[in-house]
Amino acid sequence: MNPLPEVGPMSPLMMKLFENSKEAIFFFDKSGRALAMNPAAEEIVSEDVLMKLYEGSEKALCGTCRGYTSDTEQITCLDCYFQLPASAEHSSFQVYLETKGKGVVPYAGSFHTVDPENGTRVFMLRDLTPQLRVQEKLYQNKMMKHVIEAQENERKRLSRELHDSVAQELMSAVVDLRVLKYMTDDDTVLKKVKQTEAAMTRLLDDIRHLSVELRPAALDDFGLEAAFRSHFKRVEENYGLVIRFVSGVARKRYDSDIETVIYRICQEAVLNALKYAQVDTVSVHLFERDGLLRLEVEDEGEGFEAGSDPIGTGLGLYGMRERAELAGGSLNVHSEPGIGTRVLLQIPIPESKEKE
Amino acid sequence: MGLHADYQTELNAMRQAFGYDFLALALVEPAEQQYVIRWKYATGNLNERFRRIVLKSGKGIAGMVFKTGKSVFIPSVRDYVAASSLFNYPIVQSEKLESLGAVPIWNDARVSGVLLGGFREEHLMTPDLMFALEQAARHGIGELDGKEVASH
Repeated sequence: MNPLPEVGPMSPLMMKLFENSKEAIFFFDKSGRALAMNPAAEEIVSEDVLMKLYEGSEKALCGTCRGYTSDTEQITCLDCYFQLPASAEHSSFQVYLETKGKGVVPYAGSFHTVDPENGTRVFMLRDLTPQLRVQEKLYQNKMMKHVIEAQENERKRLSRELHDSVAQELMSAVVDLRVLKYMTDDDTVLKKVKQTEAAMTRLLDDIRHLSVELRPAALDDFGLEAAFRSHFKRVEENYGLVIRFVSGVARKRYDSDIETVIYRICQEAVLNALKYAQVDTVSVHLFERDGLLRLEVEDEGEGFEAGSDPIGTGLGLYGMRERAELAGGSLNVHSEPGIGTRVLLQIPIPESKEKE
Repeated sequence: MGLHADYQTELNAMRQAFGYDFLALALVEPAEQQYVIRWKYATGNLNERFRRIVLKSGKGIAGMVFKTGKSVFIPSVRDYVAASSLFNYPIVQSEKLESLGAVPIWNDARVSGVLLGGFREEHLMTPDLMFALEQAARHGIGELDGKEVASH
């Protein structure tokens, strides 16, 4: 501390504020020389800049200041706040300072005259890093929610289109083909028609699968349990993997967001078991307890060491956790090599919005 | 029932003759089953997982054979598919096949089935065996005539 004569006596309370405040406080005289700095201020400014500030050398503050945020630029020195006349002073602005050991840090700054007679001005700084971090996280979450929602909506649209128009049209063509059977006795024609009917029936099946894979209509129309049952049947047909599904939610419906999160995470967890666990059965348990909707996906397969190098991209688990957190839930993955893997997803059910 | 036995006997005999570890036949199901393609007969199988699988035209080894009407010859599964995408080939995975061949079975100028023979060791499937498998398919199996071109 440098108790300078210009500062004069302070009341004990003011002294404590000056000494212990987490905010950096600088006093400058009208020539731009630093009169006093509190410990928080001295902490962020490097030694040589500190000296220059007390000496009042020109542009001493520029040794640490990297610019402020104007309405046109993120970081600028144009119309420097330090040079402005008292009449045009900014009461509050965002400023970037090169700090000792922490690099460039954003601060909420204020710079104004406190003693018009002597031209004494005060420069106060509050670290904005935590606020900005929170804001950024909030923004990211919001974006992520939008992206997921847009993806689901687009999948829904495509799925409906395939199911309602493409599959429908094809179905009526198949029916026409069946009618053809009664219009001729020619064996070769009948055989050919039958082959075509078989091919078209399989094609129809493929389109329906595609539609369900994009987004099962059952999830929107009948809820989680129905969607799971048909999804698991498809996994069994495609990969021969048997899924033992126990549900304690019956036909209960939840918010569409929650249902989507549970469905997508389960899909991913089952696919992981299929890809990496080397098992031919997986058990899935869906139930409600203590206001939480819980999903357990368990296998007795190869398992893995937490934190070890993933065989795949490693993004799957990250994405699952991200989705769970966006819905206010949590995801726990417990795995042991040689014993198996257990994925537990818990999502709080908003009381009021519960639908029967 | 008699027909069922025929296919199975034919497969057993073929496995004996060529020494395959695993030999299976996929056929198109009748109209009541929506004409899906399933593995109907197998010999030398380690488990029953293959019976649950419904083949998709164009997907997996047999699906590819079914769609294109061309044989697939894989002397080394490891060279053919990366371990990370092996789950797309559930039969190769669950039957632990390391080399295999699959051929279409024609009936009345249409692919009506797929015959797949495999070994649990690399490079045991050879071009000679492949040729023999194609020959066998061309002679037909069970009620399938094996003819790629319509006879009339």
